[in-house]
Amino acid sequence: MLGRLPCLWFKTARELPSEATDIDRVGLYRHSYRWALAVPCLGTEDVKMKNLNSSPNRVLLAIPAYNEEVTIDKVVHSVRECVPDFDLLIVDDGSRDATGQILQHLGVLTATHLCNLGYGRAIQTAIKYALKCNYDVLITLDADGQHAPEQVPDLYQESINAGWDVLIGSRYVKTRDYSQVTLGRRIGMQHFSILVKLITGQRIYDTTSGLKLMRRTVFEPLTHWHFVDFHAEAIVYLMRLGYNIGEYPITTAERMHGQSMYSTLSHLKYPLKTSMMILLGVIEAELTRRRMNL
Amino acid sequence: MTVQGIIILDLIGLVLLAWTLNLVRQNRLYVGYGVIFVFAISTTILILSVPTCLAFVMRVVGAIFPVSALTLLAFCFIVFILIYVLTQVTLLSNRLAVLVQELAIKQAKEWAEHGTGREDSHAPEAKERL
Repeated sequence: MLGRLPCLWFKTARELPSEATDIDRVGLYRHSYRWALAVPCLGTEDVKMKNLNSSPNRVLLAIPAYNEEVTIDKVVHSVRECVPDFDLLIVDDGSRDATGQILQHLGVLTATHLCNLGYGRAIQTAIKYALKCNYDVLITLDADGQHAPEQVPDLYQESINAGWDVLIGSRYVKTRDYSQVTLGRRIGMQHFSILVKLITGQRIYDTTSGLKLMRRTVFEPLTHWHFVDFHAEAIVYLMRLGYNIGEYPITTAERMHGQSMYSTLSHLKYPLKTSMMILLGVIEAELTRRRMNL
Repeated sequence: MTVQGIIILDLIGLVLLAWTLNLVRQNRLYVGYGVIFVFAISTTILILSVPTCLAFVMRVVGAIFPVSALTLLAFCFIVFILIYVLTQVTLLSNRLAVLVQELAIKQAKEWAEHGTGREDSHAPEAKERL
């Protein structure tokens, strides 16, 4: 990570001199207790980060986490280092392990579900929070360490430049090669990718990516209806309502720890549920358009 | 089974199918239950509509006569009641989920605004009970 951002180095808040709160002199610096654990100092090549800093948009980076005690610490630190100017929210989805205690120790903003509601509901909580707290942009990231937060500024910049309502961090849009995943998942991904193309006319190569950027324009539609995991069904629904959805190439690492949230049974249930929600999403979008006279 | 019987049962099946899909769309029936009902009703319609399929099922299960009208009505009633009960379960589940989400958001907002809330929360105890 530091290899990708050689210009950044880090000091703890205690090591900073008291007069080091001047952004112009010290560089990129988030003067907030929420970011006090790791404070990045600016190097010469941080033009991109300066652009983010000067952006008037309020950006929330949300990470849904369920039983991620092994990885959450690293992920939070890594996010704080790479995108210190964005607010960070962890949605603890009723974890039974030490995830909650670790988050409390880290002093990170956390929305704790008292019981496990599932990935889709955790994302929905983040959207509701972003809506209530008047954020302009919401970025979601997985808690298992698969996504490199270094890619988030580029994703954000692309969404600002191109004006996407939703921008998906896509593993396959560049290579279009699904060979690295298991046969079952490959079939599922291609099935949904083609289904989205058939219904909307636009191909989305990675419908299941956890790294997504959503602009404020889509917060309300996404809270008005219900979705399984905010994957293909949400993409189709939003596209049918006329929102712009794009993909931005990213790379992912292997899972650091634990198992995928999709069990063997889920591989059977997920495509059935998502397919049904896609078809119902088309109907709901049409009804919504009629109600709103779009 | 007569053609009239097949048509009536198919119509009942289609009504149930449309009702189920509409309940899922309205978020009054969990999509997982919806998938099971849609699959079961579609299969039943298919078996009823194709006489060779019905004959095959009769041979497989060892039945001598096609199902009687009374049994079919009872079956439809049970399906109806089952869907109704599951909609109530879904509604309660949705209300619980909204409540849990609102509590989580309230806690996060308090923490963001005042830096308090986490320490005061009863999340661990409540988690144990849930």
